[in-house]
Amino acid sequence: MSAALEAYLARLYLDTDARRAFTADPRAAASRAGLQPADIAALERIDRVGLELTARSLQAKHLSHSRRRWFPRLLARWRRP
Amino acid sequence: MVGRDRVGLGWRPELAAGILANLDRIDLVEVIADDYVGAGRRALRALRTLGIQVPLVLHGVSLGLASAAPVDGRRLDALARVVGAVEPQAWSEHPAFMRGGGLELGHLAAPPRRAATLDGLVANVARAWAIAGSAPALENVATLIDPPGSDCDEPAWLADAIAFTGAELLLDLHNLYANAVNFGFDARAALARLPLSRVRFVHLAGGAWIGAHDGERRRLDDHRHDVPPSVFRLLTDLAARAPHPLTVILERDGDYPTIEHLLAELDRARDALAVGRARAAA
Repeated sequence: MSAALEAYLARLYLDTDARRAFTADPRAAASRAGLQPADIAALERIDRVGLELTARSLQAKHLSHSRRRWFPRLLARWRRP
Repeated sequence: MVGRDRVGLGWRPELAAGILANLDRIDLVEVIADDYVGAGRRALRALRTLGIQVPLVLHGVSLGLASAAPVDGRRLDALARVVGAVEPQAWSEHPAFMRGGGLELGHLAAPPRRAATLDGLVANVARAWAIAGSAPALENVATLIDPPGSDCDEPAWLADAIAFTGAELLLDLHNLYANAVNFGFDARAALARLPLSRVRFVHLAGGAWIGAHDGERRRLDDHRHDVPPSVFRLLTDLAARAPHPLTVILERDGDYPTIEHLLAELDRARDALAVGRARAAA
């Protein structure tokens, strides 16, 4: 996997606006990201249900992580001189 | 076969008291290594002490070994410090990617299954092996998306990953089952195509169905539900075919039931193993 494809997949999974632009026109959005033609072709055939559910699942995990971290953050702030 | 199959449980703070009270029914524990990254000497000493009481293995969840980018040196050094301090019986990680372009996914993502991804994985496993002093077993990951850019299926890619890295396969049977039901392949046939002579560790877990807007459902590996019967059947199939003793670990990460309930799941795993071994001996 190229670093560019990894970076683009990470954006697609995490960034709602990037995902919306990609869904509207996959070829144009992937081309703007500077991906190789083979990767652009692969992304045009992306599993859209999987993309939606992956994004939703990651968003839920981020929310759960940030909720779990509120107490250590508070503690760190309290301890800061 | 030299040695015996073992069945254990993932070590979680919520389960610690129950585990320690039932060590006669738990053959080993698996500790999340990342929980001890950055831990002080006292915490590492406590973990090492736990490893004296009960056989212990470590499980990493954040290296992101299947990446075009070299594995983060600081992250790897920190993990190697935990491995060095605790001296587990084994440690494991995932052939997955966790980050890209400066973004942290916060969870394991299945990489495109193709040759180019293997190159990054091989280099990263070699680096982890050199720094930690032992190779991580590699655990197959569950995915909700058919990884874009793949040119081979999961069993073929995993077989190559194991062959080219020299690592062993930590076979997560719920991940295999979830991918099979999500993408319409036969989990038992896929199991038969995996390099089972390289499997010594197994994960069991449960999951739940989630729905997309168009009504299609997929299975999420959430570790918050009981192990489904299909996964126990896969364990029996595996035990019938695997030539080495298996160490089976039950993972639970939320909606914790009583320890008795989890111990009953371990007993079901023992029964599934026994049926498979008997089938192999017949």
